[in-house]
Amino acid sequence: MKKILLVLSTAVMVALAAPAFAGAKQDAVMDHYKKLAKGSFSASRGKAFFGATHTGGKPATPSCTSCHTKSPANTGHTRANKPIAPMAFSKSPDRFGELKKVEKWFGRNCRSVLGRECTVQEKGDFLAFMFSQ
Amino acid sequence: MSDISLISGTDHGNISTRGIRVWDLPVRLFHWGLVVGVSTALVTGFLAEEWYLDIHSWAGYTIAFLISFRLIWGFVGSKYARFASFIFTPKETIGHIKEFARGNSAHYSGHNPAGALMVFTLLAVLFLLTVSGVIILGGQENLGALAGFISFEIGAFLVEIHELLAWSLILLIIAHVAGMIIESRISNENLALAMVTGKKKDTSSEPITMSVSTIALRAVVIAAIVGGAGFTLYQKYSAVPASGLVRLVPNETYNSECGDCHYAYHPSLLPKSSWQGIMANLDDHFGEDASLDAETVKSISAWLNENSSEAWDTEAANNLREVSPKSPLSISETPYWLLRHSEIDKNIFKQANIGTKGNCVACHSDAKTGRFDDAAISIPPPKPNT
Ligand code: HEC
Ligand code: HEC
Repeated sequence: MKKILLVLSTAVMVALAAPAFAGAKQDAVMDHYKKLAKGSFSASRGKAFFGATHTGGKPATPSCTSCHTKSPANTGHTRANKPIAPMAFSKSPDRFGELKKVEKWFGRNCRSVLGRECTVQEKGDFLAFMFSQ
Repeated sequence: MSDISLISGTDHGNISTRGIRVWDLPVRLFHWGLVVGVSTALVTGFLAEEWYLDIHSWAGYTIAFLISFRLIWGFVGSKYARFASFIFTPKETIGHIKEFARGNSAHYSGHNPAGALMVFTLLAVLFLLTVSGVIILGGQENLGALAGFISFEIGAFLVEIHELLAWSLILLIIAHVAGMIIESRISNENLALAMVTGKKKDTSSEPITMSVSTIALRAVVIAAIVGGAGFTLYQKYSAVPASGLVRLVPNETYNSECGDCHYAYHPSLLPKSSWQGIMANLDDHFGEDASLDAETVKSISAWLNENSSEAWDTEAANNLREVSPKSPLSISETPYWLLRHSEIDKNIFKQANIGTKGNCVACHSDAKTGRFDDAAISIPPPKPNT
């Protein structure tokens, strides 16, 4: 009995630790950006972008972390204090499945944080980082 | 229990039964019930926070029940409970008050003329207070039996009259208690105690003759009729939808697009001009970009225009129609908002579970309905960790 439990719990732990793979809907969104991009996307560049303090945007939101906290695995808060489900794909598997919604929020938040539209490269890196989390 | 045995006042050596029975039990219950009801109403009305309005209203309904009962009891109750036993001519009343001022007073078994005047004045003032109270509750708060019938304006108009009546009630109570104490001294009879035991020491009083069982039967029947009628009327009329609350056709687009970053503010909280300003400036929305595609903007704008504060007759809509000239797009900068929240410590808004002034839902559990009832207000206690 104990052995079975041990095997089972190890299996669960392995499953949880394994990198999350994006679902079909997410693949479609990613493909959209891949087609537009020149090079490939990098999760580590996405991580740096996510944590960086930007200038040019609105004063209250200099960084993605202003609302999403330092880790994408955390629940964030809007400036009006409404909770934001974690950005990390492993925590919010429903995220990044609808291109229109993804584009809406990239549009708004890039203008708020950077004061401009994000480049395809920045968007792809950001998504790659979130899918790795 | 026979009344005869109580006449002598020297029966059985039992002190508690010594005295002449003058106040029947319903009169005494009425009196002390009224003391409780009126004290509750005064404290919740003058001193307590807004959200005690529920208790205030229930105190009011209790008072209404008690005085309705008393009005009937004044015709069918026992001897000294009947109005007929304490209707005095103005001459008698003035005469009594003059004598009273000189420090002597003729003996009255029931109410004396000054006391009788007090009873009638108190009943009248309490009647006007409960009626104006129900009208205000219906008009201003859209609550209670008259919610469906009274406009906000009428409710607001009566607030001052209700308050004035309440102040006169306080003066009357002071006069009543003072008169009672003085009269007790003069007549060497503890009148407050008499209202508890129902008995007076003074053996020249004529006892009441109605039997306890008759009194009990009549009182129960009248209480049932008054309570039943009150409850039925309340049920019937409070079922009418509150006036001034237009039936809002929910707008899914609004709820999702404008409910992402904050609770989707009820459209009755701002006038048309402000909503239009908000919808025209979504790219710079309170320090943030909240842009939407043109089509969505158009459909949300139309819905907001239709349901803006101009379309509502609630307390919040009426008061929030006047916006701040400096920040006309903000609800939490309107003069009324600032006034109503001026007593809240600034740090409370920074609390982790509130965060900002605009987070109405944190303190108003009915914010989604636009009602902002007093009873639905509660500031959440700070949580130790975020
Ligand atoms: C991207 C996030 C975002 C979206 C989307 C958004 N808002 Fe806001 N809104 C905010 C922020 C942030 C504030 C400021 C809140 C604060 O400081 O309390 C705000 C404030 C407001 C206020 C003023 C509240 C007050 O305290 O007086 C109104 C009204 C408002 N928004 C309406 C809307 C409407 C209508 C929409 C939909 C078209 C909308 N918002 C969509 C972020 C957003
Ligand atoms: C920190 C908690 C808190 C927040 C957040 C808050 N309120 Fe209030 N509000 C109160 C309290 C407490 C009162 C009662 C104040 C008093 O004693 O009169 C009140 C009173 C009111 C009233 C008057 C109610 C009445 O019937 O007298 C209105 C309307 C109102 N608030 C609207 C709003 C709106 C709209 C928002 C969001 C933009 C908001 N409030 C945000 C705590 C809050």
